[in-house]
Amino acid sequence: MGTRKECTVRDKLVYHCWQNHAIRYPGNEAIVHWDALGEPFRWTYGSLLDVSDTIACSLIRSGIETGDVCALILRHNKFFYPTYLAIAAIGAIPAVLAYPNARLHPDKFVHGMSGMLERSGLDWILTEKDLAPVIDPLTAAGQNRIKGILFPLEWTGSARTGNRNSLPIGKRRDTLDNASPFLLQHSSGTTGLQKAVVMSNKAILDHVNNYSAAIGLSQHDKVVNWLPLYHDMGLIAAFILPLAFGIPSIQLDPFQWVTAPSILLHAVTREKATLAWMPNFAYVFLADRIPDDELDGVDLSSIRMLINSSEVVRGESHEKFFNRFVKYGFRRSALSTCYAMAEATFAVTQTPPGSDAVSLAVDSQALAKRKVLPARGVGPSKLCVSSGKPIPGCSVKISDKDGTEMPDDRIGTVLIRSDSLFDGYMNDPEKTRLSKRDGWYISGDLGFIHDGECFVIGREDDVIINAGRNIFPEDVEDAVNTVPGVIPGRVVAFGVEDAATGTEKVCLAAETPYLTEKEKEALKLAVKIAGMAVDVTIQEVYLVPPRWLIKSSSGKPSRKTNMARILSGDITRGGT
Amino acid sequence: MISERMKKVILRALRLKEFDLRDETRAYEVPGWDSLNHVVVLAAIEKEYNLRFRSHEVLPLSNIGDLQALVDRKMADAR
Repeated sequence: MGTRKECTVRDKLVYHCWQNHAIRYPGNEAIVHWDALGEPFRWTYGSLLDVSDTIACSLIRSGIETGDVCALILRHNKFFYPTYLAIAAIGAIPAVLAYPNARLHPDKFVHGMSGMLERSGLDWILTEKDLAPVIDPLTAAGQNRIKGILFPLEWTGSARTGNRNSLPIGKRRDTLDNASPFLLQHSSGTTGLQKAVVMSNKAILDHVNNYSAAIGLSQHDKVVNWLPLYHDMGLIAAFILPLAFGIPSIQLDPFQWVTAPSILLHAVTREKATLAWMPNFAYVFLADRIPDDELDGVDLSSIRMLINSSEVVRGESHEKFFNRFVKYGFRRSALSTCYAMAEATFAVTQTPPGSDAVSLAVDSQALAKRKVLPARGVGPSKLCVSSGKPIPGCSVKISDKDGTEMPDDRIGTVLIRSDSLFDGYMNDPEKTRLSKRDGWYISGDLGFIHDGECFVIGREDDVIINAGRNIFPEDVEDAVNTVPGVIPGRVVAFGVEDAATGTEKVCLAAETPYLTEKEKEALKLAVKIAGMAVDVTIQEVYLVPPRWLIKSSSGKPSRKTNMARILSGDITRGGT
Repeated sequence: MISERMKKVILRALRLKEFDLRDETRAYEVPGWDSLNHVVVLAAIEKEYNLRFRSHEVLPLSNIGDLQALVDRKMADAR
């Protein structure tokens, strides 16, 4: 068994890490593909690489070239993993995309994919046969450079188990160096506005080394994951990281988890998992939604770090989780946090292993004025939770709007410098230019530094973070603008903190000429259905009369101003 | 066929005044019934009928008719 010091990778390519594990420890478990309705499927490093190499042969035969970007759109399937590895094995670039939710209107999916094809430069789509009728128009249109659509789950016989030496897979890799692109990932968001970042082999290897040091990764660790692998947290922390170090990961179906959340805890118990990453809402979801009798036999004592990331960390959510699961062996010291984003590969800051995240009770009124003052015991207070200190190779500072660095305890924009920072957004030089200043990435997150600890408290822009997913309000507004009864252009979507669920809920205000309650009820339902078409659940709909919404200097209704007006109770004067 | 009682519970859990729920209706077709709210709906049904769903029972459900059939079966077993 290894030690923390041994958990370092020195290979040139990420693929070399996997190959070394397969050669040195072919029988070691690589991935446990979990299925709550059956027995898990267990990939060893040997079997995973064997199947990956044969799939790689099929990919080459299909015409995939080195450097081609291959979108993977697959549901939870045991052949996802070797297919991902196979794409990397031949020097192509894997990009995991979300399989369309059944709620998402096919036209919206195709629209989002078209935008993604244009911006992300996808060359190939590897998906399931079921999706062919939806996705075929993308190739028929002749307006994009897509080279082909493949259905790897349909491949049988020699395509999956044939002679893997029949084609020069290795020669493909010989042309690569560690500056070669390894993967493409999207900044989390609604389909139309996702931004693509490409990470090189070097960026990934530097990152896994730096991050593994920050979390004290060892060969004793075992990762459990329910996050979808199109999310940077799922992909980098729970898939790429363990594979790079030759440790096992247990991969759950996100849809099974959300339907029956206790399966995560049973997977932890059965596999003695030590590490997991989750967004804040999941702490509340797990604490609130599992009845006691589903927890028989659960033992969470193996978990050494349960890492909260991808949305604002809420102290109340940690407390709720700890109080619910302490009797099942969960340790307070496992309540860890991390600040991360796709543009920095993944982690920027992290709390140390063996101690829970530092909390700071601050004065809420001062916080609203961008000042950090200790709570005085009178008046409202807020419990802010630290996301830890910068990991090796990363620096963080807080700046004001002019770019001037701010001292401790002053709220401003979080700026990031990292060894594993992205070079730019693919095919978007303007957004790339705006995203950096003097080598620092401008995150758009609001936060402050206190005693060297980084506290992230929200977003500077209007992006809504719901259950770890970034939702762009303009996507929701566009969908609602076309609803009959809504005055076009007179709609605002915004997020409101919801302590009950530990995340932001999506709210919408729209102007309408309708006057009767019956008309308004029907319109509220229509607005919610319009949100469903872009895969967004609108939890609250506020209908207001014409000219009620306040405009910003740009002439459009202001989201922040109107949200404040609605939440202050002003909605009662004319709205419903 | 979906009962009026079941329909009322679902609509109340989703804070909907009215929606045409049928046997063949799938959760994703109902406003507010997303993956996160699925457990909220199931919990409301458990409370209404005083029964408990197990994970292996709810994972294969594909529409409201399946859910109604599961409730009917569990109610019959309890008698």
